[in-house]
Amino acid sequence: MSLFRKNRKKLKTSPQEQNGNEKTKLSSDLQDSITYINELLGKNDDFVYRDFYIFGSIPAYLCYFSEQANPSEINTDILKPLMYPPEHIQKNLPDESKLVDVIIKEVLYQSRVKTETKWDVLIDNLFLGDTIILIQGQDVGLQLGTRKLKERSIDEPRTELVVLGPREGFVEQLGTNIGLLRYRLPIPDLVIQTTKIGKLTKTKVAVCYIKGITNPELVKEVEDRLSKIEFDSVLDSGIIEQFIEDNPYSPFPQIQTTERPDRVVGNLIEGRVAILTQGSPFALLLPTVFSQFYQTTEDYTNRFLMGNFIRIIRVMALVFSLIFPSLYVSFIAFNPELLPTEFAVAVSGGRAGVPFPAVIEVLVIEVAMEILREATVRLPQQVGGALSIVGVLIIGQAAVEAGFASPVTVVVIALATIGSFATPVYTAAFALRMLRFPILMLAGLFGLYGVVIGAILILNHMLSLQSFGVPYMSPVSPPDKEGMKDVVVRGPLWKMKNRPGFLQAQDKNRVGAKTQELRDRRRVPGPVDEGK
Amino acid sequence: MDTPKKISEIQTAAVVISSIIGVGVLPLPLFAVKAGNTAAPIVTLIGITISLFALLIITKLGMTHPTKTIIGYSEEILGKWLARFCNIIVILFFALLTGLGAREFGAVVITAILRETPIEVTVIVMLLLAAITSRNDLNIFAYIHTFYLPVILSPVVIIVVLSLKNANFLYLQPLLGGDMGDMFKGSLTIAALCQWSFVLTIIIPSMLQPKRAMKACTAGLLIAGVILFMLVVASLAVFGAEETKKLLWPTLELARTTSLPGNILQRLDVVFLAVWVTAVFTTLFSGYTFTCYALTGIFRLSDHKIFSFSLLPIIFLFSMLPGNLLQMYKTIEVVGRMGLILTIVYPCLLLVIDVIRRKRGKRSAAAKT
Repeated sequence: MSLFRKNRKKLKTSPQEQNGNEKTKLSSDLQDSITYINELLGKNDDFVYRDFYIFGSIPAYLCYFSEQANPSEINTDILKPLMYPPEHIQKNLPDESKLVDVIIKEVLYQSRVKTETKWDVLIDNLFLGDTIILIQGQDVGLQLGTRKLKERSIDEPRTELVVLGPREGFVEQLGTNIGLLRYRLPIPDLVIQTTKIGKLTKTKVAVCYIKGITNPELVKEVEDRLSKIEFDSVLDSGIIEQFIEDNPYSPFPQIQTTERPDRVVGNLIEGRVAILTQGSPFALLLPTVFSQFYQTTEDYTNRFLMGNFIRIIRVMALVFSLIFPSLYVSFIAFNPELLPTEFAVAVSGGRAGVPFPAVIEVLVIEVAMEILREATVRLPQQVGGALSIVGVLIIGQAAVEAGFASPVTVVVIALATIGSFATPVYTAAFALRMLRFPILMLAGLFGLYGVVIGAILILNHMLSLQSFGVPYMSPVSPPDKEGMKDVVVRGPLWKMKNRPGFLQAQDKNRVGAKTQELRDRRRVPGPVDEGK
Repeated sequence: MDTPKKISEIQTAAVVISSIIGVGVLPLPLFAVKAGNTAAPIVTLIGITISLFALLIITKLGMTHPTKTIIGYSEEILGKWLARFCNIIVILFFALLTGLGAREFGAVVITAILRETPIEVTVIVMLLLAAITSRNDLNIFAYIHTFYLPVILSPVVIIVVLSLKNANFLYLQPLLGGDMGDMFKGSLTIAALCQWSFVLTIIIPSMLQPKRAMKACTAGLLIAGVILFMLVVASLAVFGAEETKKLLWPTLELARTTSLPGNILQRLDVVFLAVWVTAVFTTLFSGYTFTCYALTGIFRLSDHKIFSFSLLPIIFLFSMLPGNLLQMYKTIEVVGRMGLILTIVYPCLLLVIDVIRRKRGKRSAAAKT
């Protein structure tokens, strides 16, 4: 507790605020302002400033941060026209009261120009790459959008790969990400509102939704929760997620994170809200229900049957990854009579040399598997390959030969682990992998009875969760007719006429009448029929 | 954003079904056959009719007082102290019923799956599960019941369908027969298995449209009734009356005689039993939740959570009252039939008094004007 208090005190006495308190408004005396700003920022090497004369006569001052702004743009589009103004102005210099207006309207080759009177706003924007011009005799500063940050090129998303579908992923720059959304949704109803969160990082956070579809109460709730975040650093969208989710102690993610602009757009259209964060390639989608975690955008772009087949496989993999090891343990340790005789003999033959009870054996291999997985993620790619070979050899072959585990155990764990990799959303896969351990313990204690008890506990927890007012297990329970068309199996696109009901969207209809007609007819007449 | 905070008709029907189908399903054919021999299906039908009658009465009561639970309107009808006394007996009865239900399933589990585990452990695990879950509110109570409905219904249907292979329909004849008195007693026992649906008395005030409760409850009870009826018919058709009487849990034996094609698993009864944990859980959960909410109503508290764990030792104690399996079933039969007084006669009385008072109230109001 004392530690936190200290931090808070430190924050309060940060230099910026101290100075901000002393001086809030610009003064019209240029020299005064120059001394102030140089005292505040002059120590930084990347702070560039110069004095010059506007129209050859009026003293002015220009400054920017060299790595944040674009110097060539400043030189050609700002400094040059100011120093060599158009002829008609040079002949007839404007008087002091009209000066700023003339400069903005007639002189500068810059579209993003603002006047500002407050020091703290000016300086905040200076840090973000804007250029500031102060003029003798004016109590407003000019703030010019010359921002240029180096950014990564748009890449294929690393965590959500698809076979057929767009290959674009978000990058760290908020502006680029918003652009990726805008060109997919070129409608005026797409609303993007930005706020700044984080006392020190002042991270721009954008709330995106479609006006007329998304429930306004949901938007209000999101904005309300965001406005209550008072934290010193927001480095990634994950930090925002932790502050706004409903139940932070639940193993299940209640907000979906995604790198894919197409996924964000699809969810916006369903009536969800997306939150983009400056500096993070992950967007947050909310409210989230559990069924989203085994769905991918590919399910919708693929044809009806294929998409559904893959989705069913994925649901199976998800269930496998959760309970397969514990089912194995309870069959082996408690009810071997359930297995067909030949198989039971084979299993017990394989286990003959293993000294531990089945639970311990499975637990040890599971932990080894988790360590391997984590190590493979952290290692550089070149070494990763070597590690997986070692892992496979040691865990697979040698452990069995050494009498440490039975071959069937290895098969079972491998199936479960692969199953967890088939879950498309990383956070959800993680939750299920984690929950595998308590269920395993219960299986070791009570066999099948324990597995079912564990599954009921987990399901009950999921049923009691909510994400921004939407029950986590909807549309299954509480049942929702329209949402049910897209749970384990999705209906054909034209049959899912309305948006899912649990999101309480305003405009519900999705499919037009002509399409209905096109698809409702059993046989579309060909050109030959029409000719008759 | 506002959630759909109210319970729909489908959810109400689901609550009725999954509350009724529980551990009582296991010995059900035995009860029916003991009472009526080959007339067991008739006995079951009479039992279901009785419980339908009981359910209709409490639904009617709930619909005339759509904002109050049974605790609330009974105090209005009977007066504070008399109603409190009756309600406390009802609560005690449901605590006992929950305890006995947990005990019954514990006994099944240690006989069929976990032969070396002490019964106390299986019972307490079951009760803990209900206690932990009962901390949620009534909406989530409805979500849980709705979600598990397919899990509860499908094993019964599968068992019945698979057992058709071994069925001999001659065993079902004669349709009538058996002592009338015994048959009536047996149908009371079967009606007693259905009294878990009494939990409706606290659900109706949370419904979206209490006016539609009647349809939902009737549908729910009829579906549950069909399931129970099918089970009795199936076990009678497979084992015959005399053989069924020798089986403690005919339904479990029914599962044992079935096998899946392809020989994936050697025996199915254990798997069915494991899936049945869900059915038993929802039933106990209903009883537990009723006890918690009714107590909250009596003490006029706003939060029921304090009861969810403090009730646990009491209910556990109740569950340990019978000494052995035979005593347990005797207790269950007797307690169940006694309970009918509370779940049928008591609401009947309430309804009659309520109707009379209303008529009088109208008359006196008319006389005044």
